Amino acid sequence: MKTSLDFALGVGIIVVIFLLGDFLHRIGVPVPGGVLGLLLFYAALQLRIIRLEWVDRAAGFLLRHMVLLFIPLTVGLMDMGGVLSRQFGAICLSLVVSFVAVLLVTGLLGQRLLGPPEDAPGAEGQL
Amino acid sequence: MNRSFIPALLSVMATTSCYALALQLHRKWRAFPPIVGACIPIMAALWLLRVPYAEYNRGGTLLTWWLGPATVALAVPMYRNGLALRGMLPRLSLVVLAGSITGMVSAGVTAWLLHAPLPVIMSTVPKSVTTPIAIEVSRQLRGIPQITIAMVILTGVLGATCGTYFLKLARIRNDRAIGAAIGTSSHGIGTASLIRQSELRAAVSSWAMAAAGVFTSILGASLSFLLR
Repeated sequence: MKTSLDFALGVGIIVVIFLLGDFLHRIGVPVPGGVLGLLLFYAALQLRIIRLEWVDRAAGFLLRHMVLLFIPLTVGLMDMGGVLSRQFGAICLSLVVSFVAVLLVTGLLGQRLLGPPEDAPGAEGQL
Repeated sequence: MNRSFIPALLSVMATTSCYALALQLHRKWRAFPPIVGACIPIMAALWLLRVPYAEYNRGGTLLTWWLGPATVALAVPMYRNGLALRGMLPRLSLVVLAGSITGMVSAGVTAWLLHAPLPVIMSTVPKSVTTPIAIEVSRQLRGIPQITIAMVILTGVLGATCGTYFLKLARIRNDRAIGAAIGTSSHGIGTASLIRQSELRAAVSSWAMAAAGVFTSILGASLSFLLR
């Protein structure tokens, strides 16, 4: 019983922070509510206003099942056939080219700047 | 009980069941992404039963709404790994900034080279970041939000299904580089796929995704200001 109460408390905290972020967005901050909420939540954890053990399980649950939350939007692709087919070639190619470019630039630069490969000897402690 | 409440509840239950089923399949065949496994039966059922998407989505939005709180929840792996990441945050931000600029420019230029009309070009620019941010940037640039949404989701699915394999091909093996690349290129859908692989990858990816979102909204706002 106690653990499910903990869980509900954690979800409650996260939802309140999201609503706060969304409110700030609505009154004019150009960054979306979810991202604002993320920054606020991080600051609150860092400043120990919110303790990790209050929200750990709730956040873990939301993140583990995040894919579920993307399903309705993805199913919506079936209605976008018309819009997509008119510029199909341009959209697909730009999507793939840009995806590969971002992956390569970020990955290679990341490998350069963020440390040696994990399987290299002495990779530990070189954060 | 309200009458419109029941079909909404039904579509939430159907979506959740398909998701549970897709997870089982994913456990058996690791290469099978849950997002694909869950969407195919739902699309097939809607098509066969002639249920319009808008009808299904009245329940769907009840799930979509939780993407906001789930984005907020990303702060937890970021915080938990904060100590390990602290020293690299300035470098990580630089890497993500380079990736975000690459994404916006390469998408727009490719569409432009293929003679796409201007609104389509603008719709491709914010396609690497999470849906709510991408929609806003697309609107600011006078793109077509529907095209942007479709591209955001397809990019995410591409990242979740082939991102890790592709990075392996390019000999990128560092967990932090993999996290940065997936978070910058394929936002929440890609990040969600890393959560089951490694906590460090997911943490870096969450950082990268949030930073890419912030950078892209700032760059998008500046670009729309320049084009005015």
